[in-house]
Amino acid sequence: MKRKALILVTVAALLAAPAAFAADETRWVNVHVTENSSNTKVEVHLPLNLVLTVLRNVDVENFHGGHVDLELDDDMDINFPEIMAAVKDAPDGKFVTVTSDEADVNVHKQAGTLFITVDQKEDEMAKVEVTMPMELMDAFTFGDENTLDIAALLQSFDKLPDGELVKVTSTEANVRVWIE
Amino acid sequence: MKYQRGMSTFGAVLLAGTAGLLTATLMMDWMVVDVHVVDVSESDDIHADVPLHIKVPFPLLIADIATGFIPDEAFEDAKIPPEARVHKELVLETIRALLDTPDAELVKVRTEDANVDIFKDGDTLRIAVDADDAVVRCNVPIDGILEALEDWDWETVDPQMAFDILRAAENGDLVTVATEDGVRVSIKMW
Repeated sequence: MKRKALILVTVAALLAAPAAFAADETRWVNVHVTENSSNTKVEVHLPLNLVLTVLRNVDVENFHGGHVDLELDDDMDINFPEIMAAVKDAPDGKFVTVTSDEADVNVHKQAGTLFITVDQKEDEMAKVEVTMPMELMDAFTFGDENTLDIAALLQSFDKLPDGELVKVTSTEANVRVWIE
Repeated sequence: MKYQRGMSTFGAVLLAGTAGLLTATLMMDWMVVDVHVVDVSESDDIHADVPLHIKVPFPLLIADIATGFIPDEAFEDAKIPPEARVHKELVLETIRALLDTPDAELVKVRTEDANVDIFKDGDTLRIAVDADDAVVRCNVPIDGILEALEDWDWETVDPQMAFDILRAAENGDLVTVATEDGVRVSIKMW
């Protein structure tokens, strides 16, 4: 009898599990900022939809309806979609390595994710780590007049697995941005 | 004809009138402004029961009607700047999105002087500020604000908006402020 009840409970739990996961499909954007000098901590936890709604409705200089003006000179002819496609199709490996007295910069691709790290050696001694899954590459949408669709980029966060996107540590402040 | 004892017409009308007035009074939204001045050395708990306080209850309907008597000229100079008006859609869409947001703590700030927490709880945005010199609790009815802003012309100051928002507020504390010098003010909906 006990065994029968246990089986029933297990089956019920298994049946309920997908429903429980499906119930909360909200993706959350998290931003944590810690300022070292004042010991101030700010934690923002906002649903992606709310952030997108705000971005799509902001209409200020250089930012209209989710599109940011990259303010590039007219004589600069950069084919951003081609660059993004090239990065996406590139095999894993080290792309950029810069070593200087001011900072070290590394760009490498590993297991379908682009990692950008900057190690500052002076001033704020900032250490920046940007993690860019390849799914994001397709979301970079550029307009005819050198604009980038930030809203479309953020919309693609919806398809990303949970994880950290940006991490900055420095003597002044630490910043962490992640999606869950 | 035999005289029958019973309730007089006047009594019946008075009773019905009293019952109607009582029902209407109970069904009305009331706002209570509660001011406490306490000896801070005795209690720093904003919810502590302090016997000495001023309580001013008034029905929203009366306040609502009273605003109707304010002459329009009083608000002629109180025009909303056009820069604010262009953000109307941004504000409305943000509030609509906030209403659809699942309940959660949205913002948490910790500093040496103050702590700020903003929670979404159903149709209410709960704001808590714990500073060195004051403690503030505020429960903002998101749906009431949306409704008021949707109805507003976004051109002139409209006191009616305040009552639209208050009417949507849940019963209980709307705003509570307790300062370090012992003044405690709370506005409750009832």
